[in-house]
Amino acid sequence: MTFNVTEVLEIPIGVGDITVERLLYFVFILALGVAVAKVVSINVRRALAERLPVNERELLAKLVYYGIIVWAFVVALPQLEFDLSGLLVAGGIAGLVIGFASQSVVSNLISGLFLMFEHPIRIGDNINVADVSGSVEDIRVLSTVIKTYDGIYIRIPNEKVFTSNITNYVHNPARRFTYEIRIRYADDANAAIRIAKEVIETHPFALKNPAPSVFVDNLGDNSVNLTAYIWAPARNWWDVRTDLLWKIKVALEENGIEIPFPQRTVRFADGLEVKGRPGEKNE
Amino acid sequence: MFGRYRGTFRRECGDILVEAETVDGLLTYRRRCEGQTFERILVSNTGEVVINPVEPVNLPREITDFLLVEFSPMMIEPGASRTVYLKFPVEIGVFVESARDIEVLDVFAFGTQKYTLYGSPTNGVIARWYRSAVYPEIPQVDPFREGVMELSIQNTCREWVEVSRVVFESTDMKIYYGDFVAATATMKLLTRTMAETDFVDAPLRPGMVKSVELYTARKIPAIDRGYLMEWGFS
Repeated sequence: MTFNVTEVLEIPIGVGDITVERLLYFVFILALGVAVAKVVSINVRRALAERLPVNERELLAKLVYYGIIVWAFVVALPQLEFDLSGLLVAGGIAGLVIGFASQSVVSNLISGLFLMFEHPIRIGDNINVADVSGSVEDIRVLSTVIKTYDGIYIRIPNEKVFTSNITNYVHNPARRFTYEIRIRYADDANAAIRIAKEVIETHPFALKNPAPSVFVDNLGDNSVNLTAYIWAPARNWWDVRTDLLWKIKVALEENGIEIPFPQRTVRFADGLEVKGRPGEKNE
Repeated sequence: MFGRYRGTFRRECGDILVEAETVDGLLTYRRRCEGQTFERILVSNTGEVVINPVEPVNLPREITDFLLVEFSPMMIEPGASRTVYLKFPVEIGVFVESARDIEVLDVFAFGTQKYTLYGSPTNGVIARWYRSAVYPEIPQVDPFREGVMELSIQNTCREWVEVSRVVFESTDMKIYYGDFVAATATMKLLTRTMAETDFVDAPLRPGMVKSVELYTARKIPAIDRGYLMEWGFS
């Protein structure tokens, strides 16, 4: 029995006049398109590595990637005797069917495109969205990937991201944080304010303007409560916050100003009889 | 200390020590400044170490490209122009250069740094902050701590304008060194709240050497377009 490749290639697959050869052509063109798309998008990423911010670079690379794949698909379609003009005619009905069937997918896709162009979040931003806090690892066409501060990977569908309240902690260049500092009533609050301001002034990233503010906020049960408002670059505020508080505490203590313990003054109506003092005999 | 060095060398200026010496057969770059030490082993046959002043926006960590110099307020008449001298902070950059490439090895500086926000917290920019007096002539400076900036201010609007700060994009900065570190800049006042600033690529005195820029060494393409101060200058 002889095996003729040409004959095999000419076998119809049972759909219209499409033969195995044409099907293979279709698959080949599509595979070639995916391969070219990958190579080109990787090179786009490399070429723009230090020229564009991560977000723009990723968006451009993805546009190039999917653009080439769509182009390959359109080029390959005639192999399946697929008439694009027919697609236009059938588009209305097919669109309805596909629309109902892939409602959530399309919704995620459209949300993803809006996210990419509107830029409420960017790759690397620290955000809170849909009760998830972390840094944005990737904004994909259908989903957004977040790495939580514990290092856990979370994928959120773009529709959920787009329709949720997004808190972007680093969208603005600067942000403010607050300390509450408690000192004893016996301590000089003005001196405490001066010392705290001096410590804040020494930190490079505690911004000069807007100027930090330290003031007596309220008189508490056990302490005079000072509040410090400090502005820092949004991307460095956590480092500044963790760095400064202890320095302020140390500086205050070095100047004899201490953080008080809770205390109560107790008065006994009939006086207080203390038994068992040292030197007393028990009866 | 500023200049080019090949192989082993040792330069000591006050509290700064910069050297490249052979330790256990390995060429080692070492820097000591204000009690802090930095070391790197250099594997190089033909490379040179270049030490020069660089754009002062890298320490303690690189977070911005902007430099804001605050000075005593000046009232400037409509149409008037004047050249004054300011001081700006100096950071010292160490590069390793070969025939094919240049790379940043180390950046250090004396003293502390301070940053500020120029503009509003929603759309302003973080900038390295520095306070300077205004000098009619080139002031005396320690070349390892401060540089001299020749600033030509031109008021092109029809009103008196008060100026007490100037913001630059450091990617435009052209630094020259010789007996002292210098940069030449311009500030054109467009309205009462807007001004255009830029650096001039020219030495303040003949014979000064142009510094290798960090942005060139880091291969970060930057367009020299100046900076538009949109949030006032007083």
